[in-house]
Amino acid sequence: MSKAEILEALRQHPFTHDMDEAWKESLAEIARLQTYVPDTLLLREGRAADAFFLIVDGLVAIEMFVPERGSLRLQTASAGEIVGWSWALPPYRWEFDARALVETTAVVLDAAQLRARMSQDCALAAWILSRLLTVVAGRLKATRLQLLDLYAPPPERRPA
Amino acid sequence: MISQATSSPVPNLFLPSPFQVTGVRRETSDTITLRLRPLDGEVFSFQPGQFNMLYLFGIGEVPISISGVHPRTHDLEHTVRAVGYVTRALARLRRGDVVGVRGPFGHGWPLEEVRGHSILILAGGIGLAPLRPALQYLLAHRPNYEQIVLLYGARTPADLLYQPELERWRGRLDLQVFVTVDRGDELWRGHIGVVTTLLPLVERFLDMRRAVVLMCGPEVMLRVAVRELEDRGVPAEQIFLSLERNMKCAVGFCGHCQFGPAFICRDGPVFPLPRVRSLLEIREL
Repeated sequence: MSKAEILEALRQHPFTHDMDEAWKESLAEIARLQTYVPDTLLLREGRAADAFFLIVDGLVAIEMFVPERGSLRLQTASAGEIVGWSWALPPYRWEFDARALVETTAVVLDAAQLRARMSQDCALAAWILSRLLTVVAGRLKATRLQLLDLYAPPPERRPA
Repeated sequence: MISQATSSPVPNLFLPSPFQVTGVRRETSDTITLRLRPLDGEVFSFQPGQFNMLYLFGIGEVPISISGVHPRTHDLEHTVRAVGYVTRALARLRRGDVVGVRGPFGHGWPLEEVRGHSILILAGGIGLAPLRPALQYLLAHRPNYEQIVLLYGARTPADLLYQPELERWRGRLDLQVFVTVDRGDELWRGHIGVVTTLLPLVERFLDMRRAVVLMCGPEVMLRVAVRELEDRGVPAEQIFLSLERNMKCAVGFCGHCQFGPAFICRDGPVFPLPRVRSLLEIREL
C-alpha cells in the first residue's frame, strides 16, 4: 500500500479528517493500512501497547478473557472509530483484547514513533490527546449507560 | 392511517369491544405478540403510534401500543411484555380466548407530514413495538421518503423483538438497519453498546439536518439521544418521541398519565420534542 493511500484514509477518517494536512502527512509516514480477517486479535491484554488503530472498515470488539467463561465482549468499534488508547499512557500496556468480528481494515500507527513525534510537537500532542479525550469520554458515557441496564424489566406493578 | 380487517367504532369510549385472540407469537422469554380480530368483523383503523386499552375481564386493563398488522390475516398485533399482574395474564392467553379492546387512542407518528424527508427510527428495547407499524407504513409508501434508517438497541441478542422480520428488513436495499445489544454472547457478531453509539455510523451517510427522528425507549435513553441528535444537527422540531406513563382512562379524564400540562393518553403518546423538552428535564414528573 502506498503512502498516498494511507494519507487518503487519514483524510477520510473522522478522527483525523480535520487535522492539519502537514500533520496528516507526518502520520502517514509512520502508518500502515492493514486488513484483518475475522477473529484476528488486533491487540491483547498485557502486551505492549505499540499501535493506534483508526478503523476504516469493519467491526472490532473490545473483549476480556474470563476463565471458564471465555472472551466476553464489552463494546464494539466500527468504521470511523478508533481502537486503543493505552499507547498514550504509561506504562503503554493493553488493558483489554480487541478482536476483528468481520473483515476489518485499519490505519495502524506505530505508537512509539507517534509518541516521539508528539513529544517533539506539543501542538500535535495537544490536538491528538484532546481528540482522544473526546473519544474516551464518549466510551465512558456509553459504558455508564450500559451499566444502567435500561432495558431490564421494570419494578413489579401491582393492580390499584 | 393503516386500515385493517376489524372492529366497529366504539360508541362509548369506556366500553370495550370483544376481540378474539387468533395467534400468540413468543418474541423473547418475557414478551409475546398477540394477534387480535374483532368479533363484530368491522374494519379497525389506526395511526401507527396509537395504543389500545386491552381488558382482561375480571383481571384488569392496560395500555398496549399497536405493534402492527399481520401481513396475511390483517389481524391487529400487540406486543406485550409480561412484567405485571395484567400483562402476565395477557401473556398466558391462547388462541380462541377473548379480550376487551378500547381504542385506538392518542396521537401517532406524523408520517404524512414528514413526506420527503429521510427518516431515522431509534428504538430501545420494547420501544420498537410502537415504531414497527410506522416502519411498515414507511416501507409500504417507500417512494415518498428519502433514506430510511432503523437503529435498534436491546439488552441481549435473546431480547431482540421480531427477529424474522428484523432479518428481512436487514436484507432490503432501501432500508438501513443497525442493531446493537448491551451485552453480547458467544454467537453475537454484531455491535455491542448502547443504541446512541450507532449514531456516528449513521451520520457518515445521512444528512442529519434533513432527517426526521422517531424514537421510543426508556426515558433515560430518550434524553441522551435527544442531546446527541441535536449535537449532530437534527432540528428539535424534527424529533418525535413516544412517551410512556401509567394510563387508565385513555381519554384525558383521570389524570393518571398527566405529564405537566399534557396527558400522555390524549395529547401523546407521540410528542414533538419542543412540546416536552422542558418536561423531560423535570425529575419525578
